[in-house]
Amino acid sequence: MDGSIEFTMGLSQGIAWPWPIAVYLFFAGISGGALSIALFIRFFKKQTTNTPFLKAACLTSLVTISLGMICLVFDLTNPLFFWRILVFYNLNSVMSVGVLALNAYIPLVALITLFAMEDEIKRIPALSFLLPIIEKLRCLRSPAEKAVLVLAMSVCAYTGFLISALIRFPIINTSVLPALFVASGLSAGAAVAKMVAVGVFKEELHSPDMKVLHGAEWPIMAAEILFIFMLAMSLFSGNAGMQSAFAAFHTGNWAGVFWIGVVGIGFVAPLLLNFATSKAFSHSAKALYMSGMCAVVGMMCLRLFILYAGQNFAV
Amino acid sequence: MSENLERRRFLKCLGASSLIIAPLGCSSVKEEESSNKPHYVMVFDQNKCIGCGDCKDACNKTNNLPEGKSRLLLEQQSGGVAGEICPHCGKTECDCERKYVRVSCQQCKNAPCVTVCPTGAAHRDEKTGIVTMDASKCAGCKYCIGACPYDARFINKETDVADNCDFCLNTKLSKGELPACVESCRHDALIFGDANDPTSYVSKLLRVKDSVRMKPGFGTEPSLRYIPIVKVGV
Repeated sequence: MDGSIEFTMGLSQGIAWPWPIAVYLFFAGISGGALSIALFIRFFKKQTTNTPFLKAACLTSLVTISLGMICLVFDLTNPLFFWRILVFYNLNSVMSVGVLALNAYIPLVALITLFAMEDEIKRIPALSFLLPIIEKLRCLRSPAEKAVLVLAMSVCAYTGFLISALIRFPIINTSVLPALFVASGLSAGAAVAKMVAVGVFKEELHSPDMKVLHGAEWPIMAAEILFIFMLAMSLFSGNAGMQSAFAAFHTGNWAGVFWIGVVGIGFVAPLLLNFATSKAFSHSAKALYMSGMCAVVGMMCLRLFILYAGQNFAV
Repeated sequence: MSENLERRRFLKCLGASSLIIAPLGCSSVKEEESSNKPHYVMVFDQNKCIGCGDCKDACNKTNNLPEGKSRLLLEQQSGGVAGEICPHCGKTECDCERKYVRVSCQQCKNAPCVTVCPTGAAHRDEKTGIVTMDASKCAGCKYCIGACPYDARFINKETDVADNCDFCLNTKLSKGELPACVESCRHDALIFGDANDPTSYVSKLLRVKDSVRMKPGFGTEPSLRYIPIVKVGV
């Protein structure tokens, strides 16, 4: 940093990637996370029926990835140029690899959602045109689910790799970011799918599936905390540029987002809701919704913090 | 006896195989060919720049850039302009020497924008090796802008695609002319040429003058070099 010559101004005038990208990272994380967890449980327990949790996860995943794509397209300088990303590829680019993954992921998610929602589709006469399609493609269900599990994890991780390729930003340019995004995607995805399963598909609060999920939540959260701690420590003990970026954790508005949003709402609140309240409350549907919302808000704050604080603290 | 024969055969094989392998190793000198390719570099001499801004105006005009946008900027690092605060000492009136720095695409040999671009719109021109844009491929995702360690890329509001200084590749170089900024500089603060050509002025200059690169720690190997003012003390 003590070069004999340096310049500090830039030509781009502002932040290259604003909030829609954070929202996209958020939706893609939830989509991949929800489906990964649901398919893990399905394969692990060798389930063959359409469980309420699988239905919820499929629906959540399809809706969130679609919303994410909308964010992505509208963040382009000119959304009408969107087709160019689909036509031209550069396999050195993380984004291009991600587009290939999403090209396979989105249709496959739609397909396994069709299979999972078969009963619901039968009940709605307007959707009966889908039934012959389901019948014809039924043989593809098992391979599609396996492929989606791999792709869902890839989509989660890809959002981390996508931005960690930006070498100018010490907070973003870290190898732990993809792992952090997978962990936070899993926890928020599971939280959303759980809420949808209980709210829409009438899953019982203490069914075996839900018990597995409750058990899985805490180790995932612990991993998330560990990854954030690793990120902070690598900045704290890094070179001059990294050390100056460490200030993001204790100065400015984004430090507030981090401590209140990520730590307070994302980690402390669910812990308090589950362990500091009476058993009657912590086992109620109200507690489930509240801690679920906390996980979602915490995850959104994490993406916003990483993206904005990351870009503000450039080298 | 048999031991001796084995050894002899072994040595024979060794000799024969070395005859076959050695020329293979020598034939891998193809790099000579690629170094015949030009490596265009620009040198900014801070000792000569007075901050007149002619380079910027010439660039805007030549490359048809929209109002208020430019592929290059001049950052004033010290020295007062009437009524403005000196960026170095913070006073409105000071004796600091006026220093300017050219801010523009550094034309990296190892360019992050090219690696990161999902469509190949930000690419390296095959003939010249200059990093330039294929506007018909750019989707406007701004990945290159975030990836550039020098913040030297921007969105051209007229075309909605990313833009960068490409040494006037399509507007001037293709006609055999010098980049517009170099042509317009009255003080010879900008020198441009092929560093791979030992007879070019720029390679002679780089041989005798100390020059530095911006943010070398990123390992991007910029082709834009700077000759800083290095006077120290009084």
